[in-house]
Amino acid sequence: MPRIEFKGFSKTYPDGTRAVTDLNLVVEDGELLCLLGPSGCGKSSTIRALAGLDTVSDGVILADNNRIDHLPPQARDCAMVFENYALYPHLTAFENIAMPLRARRLPTPEIKQRVTKIARILRIEALLGRRPSRLSGGEKQRVGIGRALVREPAMFLMDEPLGHLEAYLRVELRAEIRRLQERLGITTIYVTHDQEEAAAIADRIAVMSAGRLQQVGSFLDLFDHPINRFVAEFVGEPPMVFLPVERTGTDSIAIRGIQIQVSERHRTALRAMKDSELILGVRPNDICVGAPVPERLNGEVTLVQPQGDHAILVVSTPAGQTTVVAPLDRRPDPGTTVGLTFACEGLHLFDSTARSLNREDGDG
Amino acid sequence: MSIALIRKKGLKAGLSHPASAWPTGALRYLIAASFTGFCLFPFYVIVTTALKTETAIFAWPPAWNFKPTLQTFYNALFVFGGRSAVSYLINSVIISGVSTFLAVVLGAMAAYGFARFFFAGKRHLAFWILSTRFAPPVAFIVPIYLMVQKVGLLDSHIALIIIYTAMNLSLVIWILRGFFAEIPIEIEEAALVDGYSRLQIFWRVAVPLVRPGIVSTAILSAVFSWNEFLYATVLTQSRAATLPVYLAGFSNSMGLAWGEYMAVGTIAVLPILCFTFALQKHLVRGLTFGAVK
Repeated sequence: MPRIEFKGFSKTYPDGTRAVTDLNLVVEDGELLCLLGPSGCGKSSTIRALAGLDTVSDGVILADNNRIDHLPPQARDCAMVFENYALYPHLTAFENIAMPLRARRLPTPEIKQRVTKIARILRIEALLGRRPSRLSGGEKQRVGIGRALVREPAMFLMDEPLGHLEAYLRVELRAEIRRLQERLGITTIYVTHDQEEAAAIADRIAVMSAGRLQQVGSFLDLFDHPINRFVAEFVGEPPMVFLPVERTGTDSIAIRGIQIQVSERHRTALRAMKDSELILGVRPNDICVGAPVPERLNGEVTLVQPQGDHAILVVSTPAGQTTVVAPLDRRPDPGTTVGLTFACEGLHLFDSTARSLNREDGDG
Repeated sequence: MSIALIRKKGLKAGLSHPASAWPTGALRYLIAASFTGFCLFPFYVIVTTALKTETAIFAWPPAWNFKPTLQTFYNALFVFGGRSAVSYLINSVIISGVSTFLAVVLGAMAAYGFARFFFAGKRHLAFWILSTRFAPPVAFIVPIYLMVQKVGLLDSHIALIIIYTAMNLSLVIWILRGFFAEIPIEIEEAALVDGYSRLQIFWRVAVPLVRPGIVSTAILSAVFSWNEFLYATVLTQSRAATLPVYLAGFSNSMGLAWGEYMAVGTIAVLPILCFTFALQKHLVRGLTFGAVK
């Protein structure tokens, strides 16, 4: 299984749309890497270029240090699963799965044996005689995955494969995909906009935004040490709360005149920089709700959303609206005024260019 | 969902209400039957005239009750003017068949290109292809006659095949282009990553999915080639003459042999009728249903 490398990859479509800019990314042999980002961030363009469905505008794509970006799709040995299944409507499920094998002119008995085997793994043996129009969404995508896996490809590309499925099916199928991928050890790139899905399935996650790679790492990496405001906001549910802060000294900050305790690391970072406009980021879980006192950031609870074991509060403060996670049994009623305190370990500071000051190395 | 359902029901009720003003039951069938009879009556006259004896043909009031005879069929097909109608029938089958086949195969390839690829001047080229049908065919009859004469193809199958193929191509391309464009592109992309070349995808994925379009354009092309008279009568005399030319030949010289004329007329309708019926079952909608989403 190859190690895939994008080097300075850029993609501009004929209409001038710049989809991806200067992407440098390595997908290790046998790894499952998730490309995560909002729609239009360039993640689909990236795997379409890898599959050979789109041309590369700039840069190269390497598989085990060999250039593959000039090869036609059929020479790259990529299998792909599409968001909308893209099954052959005129063929039965069996023939759909057999198509990649027929392209390679395998003998009929071997085709039969391999299709049957993959169908057994995906539990669709009973459906092999049906046309796609008589399959449900989950069954169709199982056929789609079977078609991709049956030829044991070098790379496995999945473009939001579970996007059109119902929630419970998504959870079930993603576990299945992960099991299969680990068992076969196929280098896989999995495109999704769903961070929960990415967290559940990926070895590493690459977050993209507006055509640029933001950060690569494990989910916890991204969650605990987001490199910039975009990653901080995109990863984590409910999303991080951002509040503008002002500097009150070389190493101290305040929100609307209310002093905020910061860690030693932040103090060091603050001393080293001149920016006067900073943004404080804090996860809703790291905000505590207490009684309103003058030295706290006070606000009015405008919305309470019970979630089972906790409640999500929306609190309107002079510095802006914040989301807070509170224990269910100690949730305030809407309309009450509360005081907010921030756990100083959970604070993230972003400079005027939205870069995080939490990173010690500071290189990003 | 429930609102949509209620709306749908409301819409249905609203639509079915005025429908109650339409005739129902037996009356409806009576009206339909008389209209069908009105349309089929000329064809009925053709067939029955072919089966009547000379005296029965001219009987007045018309002889509704007559004893069918196959004698006139026999005469018309095998002994008329020392030449048999069979050779004209064969000419028609060859010329219509080959020109239809060529028009559909070449047209499908061109249509696929127009539907799937981007190239400079695509829109102009497509318009130019359509424009080949703008002028009435009779406007070109002299230059085409001269060209055919120059290359020595007068009274040959190949001349008519080329002309009919060219005339049908624009129609085939324009109709099939729409059919190809409707195939979800992901299906073909899936085939690309599955390891198929463009040409393989065309034959194994795209063509099966536009089968209804292929069939309808094949029927239209075949009907046009089968019935075309102008070019056939100018460019052929005997060797490659088609049925319309033969039929037209009845009305000159020794008057009209009605029984034989109608017999050949019947024969001229039957093959194209059979062809259409045979292909009709492929004219189904929704071949691409279930492929995506």
